[in-house]
Parts: sequence; structure tokens; C-alpha cells
Amino acid sequence: MTHVSETGSSLEEINDRLYDQGATDGLPIIPPTEERVEEMLQGTDRPRDEVITTLGNRDDPITVEKLATNAVMAGCTPIHLPVLVAGIEALGDPWSNSIQFSVSTGSWAYLWLINGPVRDMLNVQCGTGAFGPGFRANRVIGRALGLAYKNTTRIHPGVKDMATVGSPFKYSLVAGENEELNPWEPLHVTEGYDEDESTITLGGPNSFIVWSPYENDAQHVLEGMVYHTDLEMFGRHYADHQGTIVYALNPYNAEELAEAGLTKREVKEYICDNSHTNIHKFARGALRDAAFESHDDEKVTPLQVPQISDPEYIRVVTIGGGGRFNATIGRSIGGPVTRKIEFPDNWEELLDTYRIEPNWVKDAEYYD
Amino acid sequence: MGLMNPQNPSESSDRHAISPRVDTLDGKHVGLYDNGKAAAEPVLEVIKRRIQERYDDVTFSKFTLDYLNQSKDPAKMDDVQEWAADGLDVCIGAMGDCGSCTKFLVWGVERAERAGVPAVGILDEAFVMDWKSNAIERGWPLRYKEVPVRSEVADIERVERDLTEGVIDDIIDELVRPRTDKERDLATPS
Repeated sequence: MTHVSETGSSLEEINDRLYDQGATDGLPIIPPTEERVEEMLQGTDRPRDEVITTLGNRDDPITVEKLATNAVMAGCTPIHLPVLVAGIEALGDPWSNSIQFSVSTGSWAYLWLINGPVRDMLNVQCGTGAFGPGFRANRVIGRALGLAYKNTTRIHPGVKDMATVGSPFKYSLVAGENEELNPWEPLHVTEGYDEDESTITLGGPNSFIVWSPYENDAQHVLEGMVYHTDLEMFGRHYADHQGTIVYALNPYNAEELAEAGLTKREVKEYICDNSHTNIHKFARGALRDAAFESHDDEKVTPLQVPQISDPEYIRVVTIGGGGRFNATIGRSIGGPVTRKIEFPDNWEELLDTYRIEPNWVKDAEYYD
Repeated sequence: MGLMNPQNPSESSDRHAISPRVDTLDGKHVGLYDNGKAAAEPVLEVIKRRIQERYDDVTFSKFTLDYLNQSKDPAKMDDVQEWAADGLDVCIGAMGDCGSCTKFLVWGVERAERAGVPAVGILDEAFVMDWKSNAIERGWPLRYKEVPVRSEVADIERVERDLTEGVIDDIIDELVRPRTDKERDLATPS
């Protein structure tokens, strides 16, 4: 059966038209009718014509309404809009380097890490399977921000977004930090925000390595972090941006590090101190150049250089649920940039209307 | 009810004609614009040498960005335009062989054209649509020449092999071939 939208066109026709215009991500979208966009705008107190920021080559303005339109297409509801506004603000920060990583052959993705009370409000997945698939908030937030950036700046893949091999993560690398099982301060507190504030943090990585330690103790977890940092993943300042590595540790391994008395800062320092790598492994490129530059006042060239030159180029977050697998994500050539999420006055009403609690297994029918 | 438009316009509201071409490179002052990409230096070096071999009294001036992302700095782009305006007859820019560098090369070549200097950008052939879309969004039918030098190749021997005399002919042609009607009088968008 063909569903007819309010426009008089079928859902299929609308999808074909928007795909032809280059306005989708290749998957079907929800038609952004005036009615749906109007409903979406309930998620903010900002005027619909307010410019949130400018993006891309031409400093293209993105208005609240334009963001809401893309949010509809991605499958968001009004309760997601506050997160999207903060995410767009992060993309508009020059430090995000989004103008480069969004179109680069390097196939960089948009990494979004969500912290604070908003995780529970929106059911942002922080535990098992946090990076997906399957969790609405995680999926639609990443999709909406990717669509909004693409459609504002008109970077069609294969035409202006020149990612050589592309990235399956590009619009879907979204997770909340598992703050409840995190033994240290959460990411947003490390970035200077209060614990009861909600934030979204942007990075621009292109690799995602999943690994587990050989033994479940602090020493082996740290060794795993060092050994599973690929040569492409280096942390240092370069040109007008920096390379950053994110370690997404499962709660068990994070706990073992903390129980060994290690602070988050000490974990980062250990990674840096033990990241020295034979310089000849870097035949060319940024790390080799930077390594030589950092030693250009010496009479001879050292044989080893730190792959990550300072703890500031590392982020350690606790993400995921039970199990022993971790992820090294990087290197990111964008950000990190963190922005506070602001909620509209009608927030509680919106949550009452739109919040959905997944109830996939009817266990209450079988167990007390 | 109708659909809301999720996109911004893809074209600039201002359109620009490219600069008149020269009749020959003989006796001309040629600008070599290096956008900071690794392949730019050997590509421009080989192009310079090949042009020198053809013309006795051609002279050169080079402008090199320290690194690619300097293109994001409007003041640095102003410097490019000033350099172009300061006596260049033509300008050859390199290298467009990745997503951001092709875009940034467009920005540099545009600055030469803004200074009234006929210019051409040198590209890996895989980045032609990237060049066009970036030029179109800025309202310019900027000329380019796609070359067989593969992305990220900085080995000068490979560059010398790939930049054949025929390719050099084509690069020069972009600087001397008279403008088309479209290039001279680009219609205002409807």
C-alpha cells in the first residue's frame, strides 16, 4: 500500500525527490512537512529563524528551522532538538575542524559523546551496545547532525565529500558515557562542565579498533591500550588542529584501573610515556614531520618518538556494559569540542509526550 | 501542507567571469601557487622546468603555504591575492588531490582570478567534480587541468613521468585558450 503524505505525493515519491536533490543519506527519510517541522520546533525556545551558527566553506548559516527540518527527516522527535542545537554549535566551532574532516579523503566520521542527565532523559544508550545499532536516540541524533551539516554545506559524497573509502560510522558514531559505572569523573567534568550539566562532545576520527586485554588487571589493560593504538593514531598538535585518541573503556576494565589506584590523568600519562615508537615506522607524514621538528635543535635524530606526545591528546571515557572489550577511536582531526545542552521551558511536558522507554523483553510477565 | 527545504542553496548568488587569457606564455611572468599539499612542490617544479624549456624569457614567482589549512585564514588568502596582483601574468596552482586540498586550491586560484590573473588549478583526475562543485558554490567557472599524477604522489621521478609534454600542452592551453561566452559572461542565476 502506498502511503500518501500531506503534500499529495506518496512517501516513495517524496523520498525519491529528496534523494535526487542530494538531501538524504541514502536511506528513507521522514518527509519534513510544515506540520512536522512545526511540531519539532517545540523542542527549543529559540526563534525559528535564529541562526545557530555558520558551517562549511561559505560560512553557510544554519537556522533553528533548517536544523528542525533535518531532524524530522532523520526520525527525531522534539526532545532530541536541544541535543542537536548543541551539536551544531560544536560543528560551528573552528576548533572542530569540521570544514576539513567532513570532506577529506581520510574518511573521518562525526564522533558524538553525550554526558549528563540528558542521557537518562532521552534513553541515550551508555551500556551494552552503546555505539549501536538499535537505540533510537543514539541513531537519530547522529543521523540528524550528519544530515544537517551535509545539507547546510552541500557536501555530497563522491562530489565534495571525497572520503576515499567512506565510513560506515560517519553518521552513527554516537554513545553516552556510562557515568554510573565510571570510576572517575565523567568526560564533561574533565572538559570543565558541572556534573549536573548535560553536554555533547564532538570529535572527527576515522578508525575504531575493538580489543580486549590478555589478562583482567590494570597492567594488562594499560598494555592493551598502548598495543591497540595503531600507527595512524597519533596524538599531537599539527598545523592548526590536533590529533586526539579516545579510549572507550568497558566498566570492568575501568574499574580495575581505578582499583589499582590510577587516576584518569595517570592512565593518560602511562599511555604517553609508553607510546615511544621507532621513528622509522613513520616513513612519511605528519607524525614523522612533527617528531623531527620537535627534535630539530638536537645534533642527532632520536630513534624513538612518542606517538602521543602529551596527555592532553587523550580522552578516556567509560562506555559499554558487561564484557571485556574496549575501543580505541582515532585519530581524530577535529576537536574535541564540548557544548552544553540547554533545555526549553516546556521540557518536562515534552518528555511526558515523547519519551519512550524500550520494553523489548516482557520479563515482568515471567519474573517478579 | 508542503515540504520544508532541508538544504541551503548550492550556488553563490554572485557569479564571476574568469580573467581574459594571454596569447602566449612567452615573455610572461608565471605564478606558481603551492597550496601546501605534498605533491604540489614536485608538480610545480616539473611544470616550471618544462615551461622554461619552451620559452626563453619566461619568469616565475612562487607562493607557498606552510601547510594546507592556512587556506582557512582569510588574511593568508589576502596575501595570495596581493602576490597575484603584484605583476603576475598567469597563475598555475597545485595540487588538488584530496577533498580538503581541492577545495582549498579552488580558494587560492579564485584569489588569482580576483586579482585579474588568468589561472588554472592542477588536479588528480578523480577530483574534477570536487573542483567543479567548489568553484560553482563560489560562483566561478574556474579552469582546471586534470593530470595523471596520482593522489599524494610526491616522488619527482613519477611526476616527471606522468607530466608528459602533452599534459604540459594542455595546462598551457588553459591559460591561452580564449574564454568561451559562458566564461566571459556567466549568466546571473535565475
